[in-house]
Amino acid sequence: MDRHDDPHAWLNKHGDYLYRYAMSRLHNEEQASDLLQETLLAGWKGYDKFTGQSTIRTWLVGILKHKIIDFIRREIRDRKLSEAVENDPTSVYFNENGSWSEAPNAWKDNPEELCQSEQFHTVLESCIDRLPEKQQLVFRMRDITGDDTDSVCKSCDITPTHLHVLLHRARLALRKCLEINWFGQGKHS
Amino acid sequence: MKHACQQASRLASDSLDRQLSLWERLTFHIHLAMCRNCRNCDNNLKLIRSTSELIEKTRYGAIKLSDNQRERLHKSLEENTGQ
Repeated sequence: MDRHDDPHAWLNKHGDYLYRYAMSRLHNEEQASDLLQETLLAGWKGYDKFTGQSTIRTWLVGILKHKIIDFIRREIRDRKLSEAVENDPTSVYFNENGSWSEAPNAWKDNPEELCQSEQFHTVLESCIDRLPEKQQLVFRMRDITGDDTDSVCKSCDITPTHLHVLLHRARLALRKCLEINWFGQGKHS
Repeated sequence: MKHACQQASRLASDSLDRQLSLWERLTFHIHLAMCRNCRNCDNNLKLIRSTSELIEKTRYGAIKLSDNQRERLHKSLEENTGQ
């Protein structure tokens, strides 16, 4: 008989896909593999809730997504990551009248070229690492992994407005850091 | 407009995450048309986003479970489901 609720078959067929999904969000092999296992088990236990309206893969991704959100929420709580909305740190890039204190340059590189440069990866990573932890987290989820706003807000337990504030801070700090450490080295027009 | 460039940098960032209101789009684009610095900033942020996405895709696009991990997962599924 063709069994549709066989977690071993799911692992064989969708395991790599689900693992990739988890790895790109958790960047940790052990955690990604643990959550994959929990997802397959939850899928097996809750198979009667599967309505067949989506594919098994989509359904399993949905379960995994919730597990990742819960995991990140716990991490944030345990590590007490917080950042006050007051005292806007982006003010350092502007004069009192709100104009740029140092003019941003035009960057001529394109994503394909930058992507191939190991040296650029290193500079980008070190610039991201310098951000406050919560900014790092939301920047990675939103701009690197490409998670939607809703998932990022749920994972971090913040409102969309707070998320926009954090992303604005993160992106301006990164822009500045990259301008100094990469594009400023004779690499802008 | 007071704090025009600081505000424009916020809209440049927000536009990567949400649909700006009609009024926001209008003021943002009028400001960009007049301000080369903010045009540069807007393009810089877009370049950071698209490059980061591409790097991630390249990095994780080919990732797979190792044989060891796969074996461990099958084993623990067996223990937990009896199947």
